[in-house]
This record gives sequence, C-alpha cells and structure tokens, in this order.
Amino acid sequence: MESLFLQQVLNGLIVGSVYSLIAIGLTMIFGVMKIANFAHGDFSMLGAYFALYATALMTGLLGWVGSMVVAAIGVGIIGYFVERYLFRPLLSRWTDIDIIMLSIGLFIVLENLAQLIFGATPKMITDPFHSESVNLFFFSTSVIRLLSFLFAIISIALLQVFLTRTKMGVAIRATSQNSNASLLMGVNINFIYSLTFMVGSALAGLGGVLYGTIFAIFPTMGAMPTLKAFAITILGGMGSIRGAIFGGFILGVAETLGGNYVSMEYKNSIGFVIVILVLLIIPQGLFGKKET
Amino acid sequence: MKKTLLLSVLFVAAMVVTTAGSVAAAPKPIKIGIIGPFTGPVAFNGGEMKKGMMLAVDEINSKGGLFGRKIKLVFGDTESKPDKGVAVVKKIITRDKVLVVGGGYHSSVNIATSEVCHREKTPVVVAIAISPTITARGLNYVFRTSPNSPQFLAGMNEWLEKVKRPKAVAFFMENTDYGRDGEKIWSAIAKKIGAKELARLYFEIGDTDFSTQISKLKKLKPEVTFNICSTTEASLIQKQSKELNFVTQWIGVGGQFTEAYFKMSGSTCQYAMGCSLEPTLNMKDPIVADFVRRYEKKYKGSRPGIFPSQGYDNIMVIMDAIKQAGEPTGKLQVDRDRIRDVLRKTSLKLTQGKIEFDKTGQVYTVSPSPVQVQLMEGKPQLFVVYPPDRAGSDYQEPLPWDKR
Repeated sequence: MESLFLQQVLNGLIVGSVYSLIAIGLTMIFGVMKIANFAHGDFSMLGAYFALYATALMTGLLGWVGSMVVAAIGVGIIGYFVERYLFRPLLSRWTDIDIIMLSIGLFIVLENLAQLIFGATPKMITDPFHSESVNLFFFSTSVIRLLSFLFAIISIALLQVFLTRTKMGVAIRATSQNSNASLLMGVNINFIYSLTFMVGSALAGLGGVLYGTIFAIFPTMGAMPTLKAFAITILGGMGSIRGAIFGGFILGVAETLGGNYVSMEYKNSIGFVIVILVLLIIPQGLFGKKET
Repeated sequence: MKKTLLLSVLFVAAMVVTTAGSVAAAPKPIKIGIIGPFTGPVAFNGGEMKKGMMLAVDEINSKGGLFGRKIKLVFGDTESKPDKGVAVVKKIITRDKVLVVGGGYHSSVNIATSEVCHREKTPVVVAIAISPTITARGLNYVFRTSPNSPQFLAGMNEWLEKVKRPKAVAFFMENTDYGRDGEKIWSAIAKKIGAKELARLYFEIGDTDFSTQISKLKKLKPEVTFNICSTTEASLIQKQSKELNFVTQWIGVGGQFTEAYFKMSGSTCQYAMGCSLEPTLNMKDPIVADFVRRYEKKYKGSRPGIFPSQGYDNIMVIMDAIKQAGEPTGKLQVDRDRIRDVLRKTSLKLTQGKIEFDKTGQVYTVSPSPVQVQLMEGKPQLFVVYPPDRAGSDYQEPLPWDKR
C-alpha cells in the first residue's frame, strides 16, 4: 500500500510541475495587468504545435530541447502581439468583464483556427527515449517524464532568478504590487506589460510542450490546463507566483491521490472542489494578500 | 463614369440572375444527414468514417446519383458529446430536412440522438456504436449496421473461455455506455470462468493522463485487463504502461486499431487484443478486396481500417433503401416512412459481411473475430488469432518490457 502511495505522489508531482509552469504564466499576467486570461491554455496548445513541427526537423534529445526553445520564443512573440494589439488598447477603456469576454473570445478563435490549420487529429511529440522506463526502488516512471519534471523545475528556478536578481524582474514585481507607484518611480509600464505577457505566454508554451510530450496534442487540449491553472491560482492566491508553484504541485498530487483512493471519475473535479473550499475558508488563497 | 458604373452594376445583376436561375434549374440533391465526432478526441475516427462514406457517395454521384439527383451528405459534428449530438441532429432533421440520418459514433451520443430521430419520425441508421440499448428500446425508426456489444464480443468471449482462461482480471473502461455495457458482458464471462475481479477503474473521454490508474493496476497484477476505449486513449494507455513498466494482456473492443493508433503508440501496442472487422484481414472476400483497392486508390497512402468500412457500409445501406423506396415524392414524412419500411427488408453483401436487420433494427449477420497486434519485421500489425480455421497467426503471451 505504501509503495503505491509514494508512486502516486511521484506521478502527481510530475504532472504538478507542468501545471505549475502553466499556472505561473497565468498568475503573472493577472498580477501585473489584472487580466484573467481564459485563452492562456491555448498558448500551451500553440507551444505544443510549434514543438511538434520543430521536432519534425530536429530529432533526438537535442531536438526535443530545441523544440522547447522554439515553442517558448514562438509563443512569446504571439503573446507580444496579442498583448500589444488586443489587450492593451482596451485595458484603459474597458471594464474587467469586457476583458474576460475578450479572452474567452480569443480562446474560441484560437481553438478553431488550430482546428483549421493543424487538423483535429490528435498527435504526439516523438519521445526521444521511446517511452523507456526508469525503475528505482519501488518507483517506476519514464525517462521523458523525469526530464520533463527536471525542465519544469529548471524553468521555474530560472524565472525566480530573473524576477529577484534582475532589474526587469524587480520592475515586474513592483508593477504587480502597485502599478501607479512604479510608474512614478520611472518604470516603463507599457514595456513591463508586454514583457510580462510575453514571459507568461512563453511559460504556457513551454508547459504545452511538456504536456504534449507526456500526453497528446490536439486543438482543444488547452481548455483543461486553463481551468486547472485557474484552480491553482485561486488556491495559491491570485497574482502570487509562489502560490502558483505550490498550488500546481498540490493540485497534481491531490488529483492522483484522489483518483487512487476516492474515485478516478472525479479526478478532474478535485481542482474545482479545492477552489470552492479555498474561496469559502481562505478567499485570498494560500499565498495571496488580503484585500484591504 | 457614372454610366460605366451603372452598366457594370447591371451586368453583375444580370450575371447573378442567370447563374441563380441555372442553379435553380438543376435537380435538388437528395440529402442524407450524417452525425459524427468530427472534432475532439476521436476526430480521427470520425474522419475515417467520413472517408469511407465519401467513397460510396462519390461512386454513386459519378454515375449520375439516384433518380437523376445527386446524393448530398449533410454533416453534423457531435464533438463526442450527447448534448451537442442532440442539438445537431435536430438541426439536420428540421432545418436541413434530410430524408434519413446515418453515421453516429459513441453509444452515449447515439442513445440520445436515435431517440430524437425516432420522435421526429426520421429513420436513423447508426454506423458505429455498440451499446445494446440503442436498438433494444423498441424505437421503430432506429436501425444499426454495427454489431452490438454481445455480438461484437462473442468471438473474444469464446477465446477467453476456451483458450485463455485468465485467473485474475481487471477493468479499465471509458466511463460511458460503450465502456459500461462492455464491462457488464465481460464481468459475466469472468464469473463464468471463475476469474477474480481485481478492480474496476474508469476514465473520461479526452483524459490524457492515466498514470494513476496504471500505477494502481500494476500493484494488482491482473493477467487480463479489459480496456474499452478509443484510439487516442488506447495509444496513451499503451505508451504509459511502458513508461510505468506494467505488463498485462490488454483486451479492447477493437475500435482503437486505426492508423493513428499505430502511429501514436508505435511498438508499445504489441500484444494488445480486440475484436475486429478490419477489411484488410479479410482479403479473400472479393467484395472486401475490391473495397480496399478502391479506397487505397482514392486516398493515396491510407489503409482502410474498421471505421471507413463501417462508414461505407452504412451509406450503402442508406442509399440502397432510398433507391428501393422509389423516387422521393417531395412530401418529407411520406418519403421518410417509405425509407423506414424498406430498410427492414435490407439484404446486402458489403465490406463487413452480410447486412440484414432483425425485428429491432439490429444487424445480426456481422461477426467480428479476436485479433492481436503482433510485430512483423518490427512493425505492429493485426492478426486474427481465433478461431483456428480463420486465424492468421498464433496467440502470443505478452512479455515483460525488458524482454521485448
């Protein structure tokens, strides 16, 4: 029993790392720009397709790593245009609900465009290790899952360094805390908006590549990660990056343990039960600031 | 300047009038409604069914259609969801005014859509869905060209009883009528042969992470794991079994064995079993061989799996009924009733075998055989493994991953 418990925790942590990566992007964008982007998961979907085409050109482990770079850059660029020409012109004029509607519209458009361009047939990114498994003690997992986990952790660590050690990162955090004060301190708010949206989208794209390597790629794959990322950000606290990191792992483990011990049919609803409980008990989330 | 503008406007208007006139003069096409999952997780399978159907329709239309009118298929996307299916089938019946509804995929969707068709007094011929419920409700506008699950699994059950006789089994099913009905049948077989039931696990359509369930199964070590699911889920389950080092004899219904399945799962699908009506396994039959040849000619580089063949047969049955019912009168209800009445008398020899309906509208003349994926020169291929007189290869016991 115990070994199964630990195996399920490991399964949950691996999936959770991918959830975290996607949720961090969502929470960053929300923290800085106050945009609840319902199209966030579609950036993951786009990232996965970029990587799919990139791995057709480059093979092996290097090809796979290269495809992540391609996906991050590609989705980052798309993120730039989406922010600059869709969200920014409307941010000052429209209300929050309009922005949410815009992002939902974007989600529908991106999903249908993807269906048109890439076709509806599910695809998979070629695993350079051919699903080879690693068996340690009583754990089993695959080389590619371990590597995906590692890449997610590295990406999160690099992001932390960027946010705490660089001037731009500090500016992003400052804007997230108080945009007016940052503006007065000479921070170029528009630049920070673009940068945040690009980095956030690129993280979603990266998460999409990992998701697409472990699982499968199809035009509607973005919907589930979006909902899960929202559950995670609410759990961790809207706008809190630390909250998104921990929230991702918590959701991943809660899903696998819930699936194992309660019932698999309710696996996807566990996240939403968590959301309801968090909103009832600690509305600001685990790491969020209390509204004053 | 103004004069030229006026002239060109007149010219364009004249063109519109003349072309519109010529369109109106051509005989209106005969419309058949087709529902299926054309987007979403089983979009590939829906597309396969459509390819088989288009082969049949294009062949008829190139010969002038029926009664001098072309056949037109009106497609409706169910997205694998019963509610979407109901909405789209209502639209096809009432707005597009089709004579008859064909296609269909997923039992849960078709249980709902066939009832709508019955209520709207429109004949429906279900192509791909195996839950017995569909034809067991006494709805007399409902027909099905696919075997139901007891018929589908009869051969496999015989093999389980007479050859395999597993001691411990587990269920890992799609959480739909498709999965639950299959579970009932196999659960009865397990009881009959005295096999222990270790677990009943489920997943939702569109799930991609099965590591929780596979880890649990691995702990329980079932000899046989019944796994009813479609292409995408099946390939992910096989792949993730390798990743988690889990060995079992997978037995499914066989709908997963498509080109996309072999592409996605690679060699991880070795030893998987199902019941199939793969046309390419039955090339001795001249009708089947001819179908495969024409299919491969129309769709270069594709091999017709079970779904193109089921789609093709479905449309052939419908077109035959329209033909037998005589030239449409234009009164929709009269034509629909006539088609329903002649559908009962269907007797055709097609790619899945002979097609005749029993009193409930269920085909009873098609019987699939148990098949297994085996590697031929490193490439996964399907082989009939039972009964001995039809078998193309011997059954192979699944080996541990490090010995493959």
